[in-house]
Amino acid sequence: MALLQRKAVMTELEANLIFVVERDKHVRELLQVFLDTPQNTLQFFDDGEMALEQVWARRPKLVILEILVPKLDGLGLCRRIKLSPALSDTPVLVLSVLNAHDRAKLAGADAFMLKPLDRHRLGGVVERLLRPPPTSAGPAQEVHP
Amino acid sequence: MTDRIPVPDNGHPDFPRISSGNPDVDKILNGGFPANSINIIMGQPGTGKTIFVQQMVFENAREDNPVLYLTTLSEPIAKVIKYLQRFNFYDEDKLGTAVTYQDIGPELAEHGIGVLKDLLKEAIQTLGPKMIVIDSFKALHDVSTSIAEMRRAIYEISGILAAYETTVFLVGEYTEEQSRIQPEFAVADGIVQFFRQEKSNRDERFMRVLKLRGSRYSEGVHGFRIHETGLQVFPRLVTPEIPVRYKIITERVATGVEGFDSLLGGGLWRGSTTLLAGPTGAGKTTIGAQFAIEGLRLGEPSLYINFQENPTQLARMFGSYGVDLVEAKSRGLHALYESPVELQIDSVVSRIFRMLNEHNLRRVVIDSLGDLSVAAGDPQRLHDYMYSLTQHFVIHRTTCIITAESTASDYGSSTGILGMFSYMSDNVVRLEVNITDRLTRTICVTKCRGTAHDLGVHTLELGAQGAKIL
Repeated sequence: MALLQRKAVMTELEANLIFVVERDKHVRELLQVFLDTPQNTLQFFDDGEMALEQVWARRPKLVILEILVPKLDGLGLCRRIKLSPALSDTPVLVLSVLNAHDRAKLAGADAFMLKPLDRHRLGGVVERLLRPPPTSAGPAQEVHP
Repeated sequence: MTDRIPVPDNGHPDFPRISSGNPDVDKILNGGFPANSINIIMGQPGTGKTIFVQQMVFENAREDNPVLYLTTLSEPIAKVIKYLQRFNFYDEDKLGTAVTYQDIGPELAEHGIGVLKDLLKEAIQTLGPKMIVIDSFKALHDVSTSIAEMRRAIYEISGILAAYETTVFLVGEYTEEQSRIQPEFAVADGIVQFFRQEKSNRDERFMRVLKLRGSRYSEGVHGFRIHETGLQVFPRLVTPEIPVRYKIITERVATGVEGFDSLLGGGLWRGSTTLLAGPTGAGKTTIGAQFAIEGLRLGEPSLYINFQENPTQLARMFGSYGVDLVEAKSRGLHALYESPVELQIDSVVSRIFRMLNEHNLRRVVIDSLGDLSVAAGDPQRLHDYMYSLTQHFVIHRTTCIITAESTASDYGSSTGILGMFSYMSDNVVRLEVNITDRLTRTICVTKCRGTAHDLGVHTLELGAQGAKIL
């Protein structure tokens, strides 16, 4: 309850808006358990196409995606984000049941993690990806018009 | 090993394993349970499943690798821990730090099975357990109001446990019939069964892997005993993989019995197995002991294992041939006794196999096949064990003599243990006791693979110096 109240007064820009492209309800539940803090707001998507549309519209601070999602698969979504000059600085974490570390790197992902989820490893990677790059002039959403 | 998948999974970084805490069980599981899997440990009460799981818990638990042990509606935690303290693997320092016991029985009784998922999520968030045990999982059926509710709950629980990086053990008093119909078995990656079998006036315990998704494992029944160190498991001996290229052995082994080698065409082939059959008092044990003593004389590590003479009687027998067993052990002669009453074929064969590797045994005497047969209970089981063992002897170039009690009528049967073992022996030597005006003994080689052996019936004399053939 307290968490919801704190979030209510925090705007989307102030919070870390994290997009999660994942269909498995149990993985979603665990991500909620691990990442839903006062600093983070999680938004879930069932498919890559809808997620890409919203990445354009809302510029999340991190995209966590599974490769196996419909319409636009996770790697396709990652490539589209990374090939777009306006979106390419958006950190992407591929979190998949597929052991596709190399393919994720080729698609431009900033990090890859194989499922199942480990709270500490996940927390560490997410924290690193949310940290602004040292050379960055400011918050991510201001860098990419 | 059953080839479940065509890849060498053992040690592969993509297939990390969780040790069972027992090296022999790890061998059976081809390295341990696959990490992040859901496993069912099933068996009737008193079969040893909880001890097995507890040993695994304490062997794996560290502060950076916490274990959560949930008890449901079966045994209270106090009782579990009370009996646990008798085992060497129990480590009080790990309680409350690396191992957390939690009794969720009251919550389940009050709110039903639906609460389990929330309890697990809470535990995952607060403890981050790398291993979760639910004991008894079967008892959860009692708090479920319908089969549909139980199925839904299992779907939810298995979903959350599969999504999280943890290895899960669901312990339950399931019967084999229940394992075919209960929904949790459909989501299990691994199933290990524990059971007891009545053998005359005692019980023997066994374990068996029924399923291990994505992994090889050693099939069949493996005997075990409960010991203060935990489970003493005797992995079922399997036939060795014969090397593609092997050299035919041409070396002969001296038997140490005067006149015997010449009957065999110059001694036994190195790596051969000889069945020495005869009635009581025919000289089987004497010849076997002399064979082992000859190994000692030639500096060949040897094992003499018997199930009738106790250590004192053994020491006296070997002493009568001038061999001090304590001193001889340091020179490679091992004399073992196993009580025929407590004899478990799995443990004996496992022990022989272990000594074969540890001491590089060149000679083995097993006295006698009849005792092993009683211990095995099932003739097919005895056959499989003895066949595997003799194949390992061939690979190790270990020459073996196995004695067997026999009467004249045994030789006509191909289905008795004598007939069955004659087929797998390289040599068969028949001893007889003849009583007319005085007792006389005879010896005759009836089979000697690859050798033009002596066909005569010879007098065998047993004296203070042992046996000799006239």
